[in-house]
Amino acid sequence: MIRPWGFFMLRGMGVTLRRLLNGYWQGARRAAGLAGTKTHGAGATGVFTVQYPEQRLPIPERFRVLPVLIYEEATGEVRCTACGICAKACPPQCIWIVQAKGEDGKTRNRPEEFTIEANVCMNCGLCAEFCPFDAIKMDHRFELADTVRKGRDILNLQDLLVSSEYHARIHPKAAAKEAEARAKKTSPKPAAG
Amino acid sequence: MPAAPDPSAAATSALEEEVRRHVIVTRWNDLIGSVDPVTSWGRRSSLWPLQFGLACCAIEMICTAASRFDIARFGAELFRPSPRQADLMIVSGTVTKKMIPMIVRLWDQMPEPKYVLSMGACANGGGPFKEGYNVVSGVDEFLPVDVWVRGCPPTPQALLNGLMELQKKIDEESFVGAWKRRRRPELPVPVLAADLVDRRQIPEIDLGLRKGEAQRLVDVKSTPVLRPAPKAGPLDGADAAVKEAGDRLASRIGAGRVQAAGRALLVDRAGWLEAARVLRGELGYDYLANLTAADYAGSIEVVCHLCRMDKPGPQLAVKIRADRELSEIPSVTGVWPGADLQEREVWDLFGVRFAGHPNLKRILTWEGFAGHPLRKDWLEAYYEEPHKMFSSRWKEGRCRPGETRVRWGRNVVYPDGFDPATVPAEDSLPADAGSAESRRLLVSMGPQHPSTHGVFQVRALLEGERIVKAEPVMGYLHRNHEKIGERNTWIMNFPYTDRLDYLTSMANNLAYAVAVERLAGLKVPERAEYIRVIMAELTRVTNHFWSIGFLLNDLGAWFTPSLYAIEERELILDLFEMASGSRMMCNYMRFSGVAADLPEEFLPAARDLVRERLPRALDMLDRYLTKSEIVRSRLRGVGVLPKDRAIAHSASGPVLRGSGVAWDLRKAEPYSIYDRFQFDVVTDPHGDAYSRFLVRLGEIRESLRILDQALAQIPEGPVIEKNLYLLRPPAGEIYSRCENPKGELGFYLVSDGEASPYRYHVRAPSFVNLSAFAEMCRGHLVADVVAILGSIDIVLGETDR
Repeated sequence: MIRPWGFFMLRGMGVTLRRLLNGYWQGARRAAGLAGTKTHGAGATGVFTVQYPEQRLPIPERFRVLPVLIYEEATGEVRCTACGICAKACPPQCIWIVQAKGEDGKTRNRPEEFTIEANVCMNCGLCAEFCPFDAIKMDHRFELADTVRKGRDILNLQDLLVSSEYHARIHPKAAAKEAEARAKKTSPKPAAG
Repeated sequence: MPAAPDPSAAATSALEEEVRRHVIVTRWNDLIGSVDPVTSWGRRSSLWPLQFGLACCAIEMICTAASRFDIARFGAELFRPSPRQADLMIVSGTVTKKMIPMIVRLWDQMPEPKYVLSMGACANGGGPFKEGYNVVSGVDEFLPVDVWVRGCPPTPQALLNGLMELQKKIDEESFVGAWKRRRRPELPVPVLAADLVDRRQIPEIDLGLRKGEAQRLVDVKSTPVLRPAPKAGPLDGADAAVKEAGDRLASRIGAGRVQAAGRALLVDRAGWLEAARVLRGELGYDYLANLTAADYAGSIEVVCHLCRMDKPGPQLAVKIRADRELSEIPSVTGVWPGADLQEREVWDLFGVRFAGHPNLKRILTWEGFAGHPLRKDWLEAYYEEPHKMFSSRWKEGRCRPGETRVRWGRNVVYPDGFDPATVPAEDSLPADAGSAESRRLLVSMGPQHPSTHGVFQVRALLEGERIVKAEPVMGYLHRNHEKIGERNTWIMNFPYTDRLDYLTSMANNLAYAVAVERLAGLKVPERAEYIRVIMAELTRVTNHFWSIGFLLNDLGAWFTPSLYAIEERELILDLFEMASGSRMMCNYMRFSGVAADLPEEFLPAARDLVRERLPRALDMLDRYLTKSEIVRSRLRGVGVLPKDRAIAHSASGPVLRGSGVAWDLRKAEPYSIYDRFQFDVVTDPHGDAYSRFLVRLGEIRESLRILDQALAQIPEGPVIEKNLYLLRPPAGEIYSRCENPKGELGFYLVSDGEASPYRYHVRAPSFVNLSAFAEMCRGHLVADVVAILGSIDIVLGETDR
């Protein structure tokens, strides 16, 4: 069927008009308690905006920003053993580790210095993925804007440490799995036979 | 012992305090003190950002401006294309040496009071590409930055957080203080010479070079080892297909001129042009998929990968060897026009001259750049070691950032004999710029232009409004991906591939994983294959939504269609974030699988989206745009690329299919498990911008079809065989390609059995598709350039790499 010139343009404008009105309509319904507050996913309609900073998008567990180092809440012990695997896996090579030495001059399995160049880190998560000691994890804190650069882009051991309790809070599923695996490793094997 | 306080001093200060508080007008500042809150409030609530984006972060910046995060709530939605109307510069992404002169010039042109917000790791300090030779280690080396936003990339919410920080800073400003900033001098525009020159540093550089001081403060311990090129031998030992082609070639150009080298044909330099004609004409290899080079001891090997459009089959690799010193081989642009940009790239990065090339200029670096960076013995300023991990990082890894390794404190090192006095006052305009007498006008569009989809430049020679000649100029986002990639271990390249075409990171991951798996002979578990297909197709949907939205944006429909399209994209990004941890830089695939199994809430959400919402959204977009008279009149007949020209120019993806060629690597060379799904290859015969638009729309539908099947069939099971951070594929080479949303994304990988690739080349669809651009533009109006460019759908991260 042949339509007059401009018909489809008007139809397109109808789409925008409908969307405009729908925003108000759904808003009114929401205010009246008639519609759900769902703004995401398939069933959602109407205004889509997250009113940051009053509202925030839910953060999925795997979300990654900068790496952090974990210390045990109970003992204060840093999990890192300075094995260097994170530094070996790090694509932009932003991890620097100085292994601690004892008074006898022999190396100890802990870091004396641990530095991350935050302005080089690409937030890829490979360090956390390959760390065999669950010592380095990807943090969720993303509100890192600042009016100062110098000194905040080179993160040292103290800047990086967070407690195991914090880790368990932001990564509940992963932390539970890791704890289970660790428990299995340390518990004595049942005697054969 | 601290000195006792002087009571009289305390009394004086208390008196001063009283006077200040109650005798109001002691200073001019106090009189207008009450003005400060009002002006600051006004200024901070109406920031007008400069409309330009540099790299991946710009995509997140655009998302911040879209409906979900809505920067208008902060009064900052008026992105101004002109610096004279803007007071906020958001430096969104990697600042390259080639781009920094433009950025400084833009800053100079912005009126005071103006602010700079540095967004993302790259703008803050070089980011993951810091070690590259074309990257500036932080924009604050050149501009006064007010707020740094961290993350790679920062999410839209993080950017809004940065904006709020800036607002706080403005709140504290006094009216007079802001007024006084008018006196800030203009900054000198840096100059591109043998390396980037900051004019403020010239005396220091001059003195340093004259004294003969070492430019590198840390000695280079080891340099990359040049391997011998693969052995050449008689044709008899080669594969059947190679032997057949080789024999026919030999019969035409002389038996001594064709040999076999591995699985490739090695053609003598002098016979190459003749051989190319025979290959193209008699043997029917009409499609030059890839042309690149590799640096070996004694020779630089140029390699071409050819295939036939009429008969999908094994590709034919043809190699030509050039001397490392006097390297010149015949250009094949006359045989395959698609070789144009790729030959220029080889000249630029390897220093192989192509005799007879119509426009053999540097393409990714700039004229005057010292050396050819992809040669193994060319070392950049921050060079440390041939391979990662660098030994300085561990055991005695005291942090020593790149800047401290070079005398100038910058990512620059000047060649022998460099004289800063010869640095020109400013970048000179090209010689063919229109003169007063000329009827023709040279218009430079970009690299800061809202419609060039990033830092891309078009130099168009106009007669009136009509284009006589259009030349794409690129390299403003050249982040040295390949040079870095040859230092990286194999797995380290995954997160870098995310940043190639930053709109399609999942698909890039897949193409790279498939290439290495083919090279190393790895198997992928069933469930992982399904996950990969789901991710790749979701990526195609996001990419096409985005590209359709922005095509309309370029056409003057403004932001509305983009807003609608970005909404749907956001929901898919939520899925990516759920599975991989990042919206854009997914880094999700691994060799022989994927990084982690899908979280349990993924599949229901994905099914919901794919079956309910996305088809509805697509129908809406269709109803809104497809038949619209304006869309049709702006796109029909614009940028026509006939079928044979599309093939000749090595176009791929929707550009090729929009010219009526039913070529889709998911069908032609099935990878992963694409052979199990029902879907059609969408084509349109007209070859114009509207055809490409229709093809993209159709491909979203087909992708939804594949997704529907994959989401129904996905089995349980493991998602990876073995996740290793160190992989050593056997020595050998491969050119492997996948159908990315923008076209053929190929990886040419050479392994020498070590932990990093010996040669790592990315055949980027956005880059090669541009070789047809000049032809498509000729004769059209200047306003059509943006429509043509939008219909090709380029992303600069991939074009420039």
